[in-house]
Formats: sequence, structure tokens, C-alpha cells
Amino acid sequence: MSTVQLAGLGGGKWMFGLRTLLGIGFLVTSQGNSRVLCQRACTLSQSLRTPESSCRALHSMAHPVKYLGQKEAQGIDEELFSDYSFSVDQLMELAGLSCATAVAKAYPVEAMVKARPTVLIICGPGNNGGDGLVCARHLQLFGYEPSILYPKRPNKQLFNNLTIQCEKMGISFLSDMPEAKVVDEAYNLVVDAIFGFSFQGAVREPFGAILSTLKKITVPIASVDIPSGWDVEKGNPDGIQPDMLISLTAPKQAATQFKGRYHFLGGRFVPPALEQKYQLNLPKYPATDCVYQLN
Amino acid sequence: MNHSSSEPEPGTSEPLRYLSKADASAIETELLRDYRFGQQQLIEMWGYACAIAITKAFPLKSLSKKQPTVLVVCGPEQSGSVGLVCARHLRIFEYEPTIYYPKRSSHSVHQDFTVQCEKMDIPFLSYLPTEVQLINDAYNVVIDAVLGPDSDPKDVKEPYLSILVTLKQVKIPIASVDVPLGWDTEVASKEGVEPEVLISLMAPKKCATNFSGKHFLAGRFLPYDIQKKYELNLPEFPEAECLIEL
Repeated sequence: MSTVQLAGLGGGKWMFGLRTLLGIGFLVTSQGNSRVLCQRACTLSQSLRTPESSCRALHSMAHPVKYLGQKEAQGIDEELFSDYSFSVDQLMELAGLSCATAVAKAYPVEAMVKARPTVLIICGPGNNGGDGLVCARHLQLFGYEPSILYPKRPNKQLFNNLTIQCEKMGISFLSDMPEAKVVDEAYNLVVDAIFGFSFQGAVREPFGAILSTLKKITVPIASVDIPSGWDVEKGNPDGIQPDMLISLTAPKQAATQFKGRYHFLGGRFVPPALEQKYQLNLPKYPATDCVYQLN
Repeated sequence: MNHSSSEPEPGTSEPLRYLSKADASAIETELLRDYRFGQQQLIEMWGYACAIAITKAFPLKSLSKKQPTVLVVCGPEQSGSVGLVCARHLRIFEYEPTIYYPKRSSHSVHQDFTVQCEKMDIPFLSYLPTEVQLINDAYNVVIDAVLGPDSDPKDVKEPYLSILVTLKQVKIPIASVDVPLGWDTEVASKEGVEPEVLISLMAPKKCATNFSGKHFLAGRFLPYDIQKKYELNLPEFPEAECLIEL
């Protein structure tokens, strides 16, 4: 790792030291030195809030949040894992926490109508399912009683681990999808974590049957990222109609067809540079909240 | 509250348990081995919780300097990575963290966290000035993420000894994560830093027993069975929060 020591800005040793501490001269990074310098110098000379946040304020006024196409969504995901070196573990944990938090905001435990605060989480065969597993775990810690249906489990360490975490926490795994009227009797809410933004083509079993059942239930559905069975860009007027949608990272174009009561944005981990590159125009999350209510 | 078996009545006055080094280590081992939490997953959760605690202890609006600058001093290996994740989330929460990370881990697990911070344009200092006034002037708070519960005080060598000397002289508040620099996991020490704020991850450690500053318990992800097994008697977290002020 090379030490980059930039020329001082004149003056004595202490002046140099103070300026460097303020971040505009004294960096040890292997990349992005000059870019950081410019940003930091700008920050100091403006003595305002950081460029990103003043830009962000302007953006939300002039530019609404961007709705992504499928390829863009995949591109962003790719970059997070390759260029930004995030691990799936990390981001899935934050995504799942966002989902649980959104559920807790819209459907608080105290407001649940049934005797027990039961929630059914249906997990699909990919990353969307993984988000569901993390969500279930946090929901349990928030005081809900989650049950999971996870019919097709990928044979990968990450998913095995997430499953074990849930099992060891005493979260029950169903062996079959209950009939619609049983779902209505037993659960307050269904979390749909079946398909995400990579979904395309035909729906393979058992998910076709599961989605048919979901179309018949009356308890609300909260979908993770994309209502399952919807085209990621065009939606699906014949598909499930969830009450809540939790868009992760940024909403996808299908979300423009969403007609439910609650649209939340979650996954508060987008680096500013990535946000700028794709011009996501993300809204300003309140305080330390990991979700933002879009509607 | 959902528990898999019988739980203590709400409002029982069972005292909060302060963990020994062995307990802390055993809990972590169980989380990794039996519950199959991933190391990066745990570090992410700890760092995130830590950042939330900082925003509670030092809200943006309360910071006295023009810029919401924070210096995060990161130790080696796991405790350092917790500091890195904390810095990253602070950046997302609109603070301006700067990191001092003198001894970088060679494990890829920890290197990723460094790259993530760099790519968020968080500056890394190449040395910590011994002129304390520079630190007092430049930052609002110092976050001490040097030691963890598994650190051995005998192993605290350079550069941490010099860092300790410097931090003992700073006038701005210090927030320590888990085990303040210069302390032992089980015993506080006047030779170490005197933090204003202590952020205990998952459960407090024995050294925090008589801590008189602001003490936060951060991180809401311990399975109930572990809480019961180790008789942690954690207080109830409010709603969907992951932080409690003790």
C-alpha cells in the first residue's frame, strides 16, 4: 500500500498538519486519491454540507427517484460485489433488515388482528429467498412469529447458513404451501420473497401453484423487491397484487404498476459514487432509518 | 415477544450480565459454529449497530464543528473491521469519518471492508499526529475501535501504545467500542483511555461494570436461546430498534 503524501499548502509544519488532518492532503489509499482530494477540498472551501447532500436536496426537488430496468439493476448489483467489494452476506443482511423494518412500520405487532403475530415468509430459490430468510430472523427478534416456506433451496453455503440461523432460532419451516383459506386463518401477513430482479421467463413449480394460492388469499402480501411473477419492467396485471412493496437499492420499473398501500425503499448501502454513476436520485432517508416510505 | 420456550416475566429484575472474556468468546464461537453466522455478516451487524449508537450519542446537529467530522481509530483484525463498517455507515448517515488504520489485516475477509471504505471516499490517515491540538481541532469525536473482547492487553504493542498516549490527551469525546483501549476485557483501567461513551456489542463486558459515562448496548441479533443460556438478561429493545441506552 503506497503512502501518498502530497505537497503541503505552504506555511509551517502545523498549518500543513491541520490541513492534512482535515482530509485534504494526507491519504493512504491505493486508489481514487485525486478524486477524494477534490471532493474534500470542495467541502472545506464551501464550508457547507457535503456536495453530495446539497446535490441530493436539489435532486429530490427536480428529479424523482429513478426506476431501474432489469439490466441496470443487474449492473448495479454486479458493481457492488465486484468494484465495491461488498459480500453477498453483508448486503443481504442489510436488505433483510430493511424488509423486516418496513413490515414493522406498516404492520406493527400491536396492530395484528390475530391472536398471535404470525407472518408467513415464502422464500424462492435465489437471492430474493435469501433476503426473505434474513427478514424472517429479524422479524422474530422484533416480536413477530414468522414461519418460512422454502421449497427450493440452492445448495450454497450462504443459503445453508441462513437456513440454519433461522432453524436454530426456532423459526418453523413448513413442508407445504397451505391452502388459501388456511393462510388467511393462520397468518396476519405473507412476505413474498420468491422472485427478485433477475426473474425472467416461465415460473417453475412449485412456485406457479404458490402464486395461484397467493392470488386467492385476503391477508396482505408484502413483496420483496419485485412482486413475484411480475415482469421486472412491465409488471403483470394478472399477477399477485401485494399491499406492500419493499424496493431494494432502488425501485425497478415494475414498481410503477404497484397499486398497494405501502411502497418502501430499503437497502441503505449505496455508495455515493455508485448513486451518481447511475443517477439514482435516491431520496434522503430519515436519520438512521434503513427504510424510506416512497408513497 | 416470541420465544421458543419459557421466558422470564417482563419486568423481572434479573440483573444484566457482564461478560467475561471466556463468555464473550464462547458466544461468538456458538454464533459462528452452531448458528452458522458468517464472520462478515457478524462484523457488518456489529459495525452497523455501532454507527447507530454513535448517531444517538453524538447527533449530527449537536456536533460543534462546522463539518461533522469523526476520527475512527481501527485496531487489527476483527475489532478493526467493526470500526471500518461503523465508519462506512456513518458516511451513509452523513457524518464525515476519517479512518486511522495502522495495522491492516492480510485476511481477505478484512481487506474487503477496507476497499468498501475507500470506495466510499473515506480518507485514511497515514499517521496519527502526536500534536493533540490537531485532533482536537479537526474532529468532533474519536471512535476507539482498537480492542475487542478477545484482545489480550499484553499484546497491545506499537503503534497502539503511542495511540493510547495521544488519545489520553485529546480533549474531544472518545467513544469506545466494547473494550476501551488500554483496558482489559474484564477490568477497567485508569491507564487506558477514559471514554465518554461506551458501545457494548451484544452484551456488556465485565470491564464496563462500573462505567459511569453513556453506555449503549448495540446489536439486536442474539438468538433467544443464547441469551438464555448465558443468562444475559438483556433489557427489552424498543420496537424495531437495535440499540438500548443502559
